[in-house]
Amino acid sequence: MEGSGDTAVHCAVTIIGKDRPGIVAGAAEVLYRLGCNIEDSSSTMLGGEFAMILIVSREKPFSKSRLLEEFKTFGESMQVSVFVRTLARSEIRHEALAGELCMVSVYGSDRPGIVYRVTKELADRNINISDMNTKLVGTDENPVYVMMLEAVLPDGMEIEDVSRLLEKLKKELNVEIGVRSVTPVSL
Amino acid sequence: MPARTILLYPHQTLKEVCRSVSAFDADLEALIRDLVDTMRAGPASVGVAAPQIGVPLRVCVVDVSASKLGKDNNHGLLVMVNPEITLREGAAVMREGCMSVPDYTGDVERATDITVRFQDGDGAAHEIEASGFEAVAIQHETDHLDGMLFLDRITSLKTGLFRRKKYK
Repeated sequence: MEGSGDTAVHCAVTIIGKDRPGIVAGAAEVLYRLGCNIEDSSSTMLGGEFAMILIVSREKPFSKSRLLEEFKTFGESMQVSVFVRTLARSEIRHEALAGELCMVSVYGSDRPGIVYRVTKELADRNINISDMNTKLVGTDENPVYVMMLEAVLPDGMEIEDVSRLLEKLKKELNVEIGVRSVTPVSL
Repeated sequence: MPARTILLYPHQTLKEVCRSVSAFDADLEALIRDLVDTMRAGPASVGVAAPQIGVPLRVCVVDVSASKLGKDNNHGLLVMVNPEITLREGAAVMREGCMSVPDYTGDVERATDITVRFQDGDGAAHEIEASGFEAVAIQHETDHLDGMLFLDRITSLKTGLFRRKKYK
């Protein structure tokens, strides 16, 4: 891959601001002109905000201040905040995700503690969340909370174990909880 | 012949519409043998299409009998020449990965029940009904014969994710 040689330096860039057309193109232009590769990224609209998280790399090391400086004009014109975190070499190497991958869906009338209680149960069993999104939907009178997450199970743990684990939370939180396998099939 | 190397995208053979087979000869026999050997050599592989080993012909092999998802519902080793799916029913989403597109997986909707017509290595015509994981595998492999990758069929952005990636 271009830019992923020994001298590449990685940064995590977070951009957030009121949603409008042109944020992605503007950010991509800054990175392109700097000679950065966008390695992994995920962007989405949250409420009325647009949020981007990018792992970027470059052949030649660059400083955080230089990167922020290059983003200054873009940030001001688009009215978005830009944050940069440089990643140490030890941070950019990560272990391959092994084990079963499961999708957990939780939804019900909104109340405090849904995210905390569900994710605490997972964390206590070393279940690693790899993706999560939550949304407050429904009406003002009847707000409904929806949480979808994907998690990698430790070796030896089965989908049914997670179902059983979360079963008791259904009553406690008065929510529906479903767990299903989304382990990729190799074709 | 030993297992052949699986071509990786962006190799353009993977995006070609493959030619029908008209000669059921020794070359075809050798190609089929290579496809089976390549499938058996792949880690947990349940199918290989000819363009994946650089041959733009309408030939693929599928065998889900050793897989967790397909072991109870399969036709064993399927050698399919000029396959054509004539009926598709039902729909289910499965997260697919492909040996030609490493490190990426995505949710793809496929028919749950299919009827597929094909010839074997000797040119004899067959028609089978397949369902479940075997049906998914057949649809994935026959897509290869039309230059279609699972990337062309991903519908859900939320779950089209990088997996098992290692930063170099």
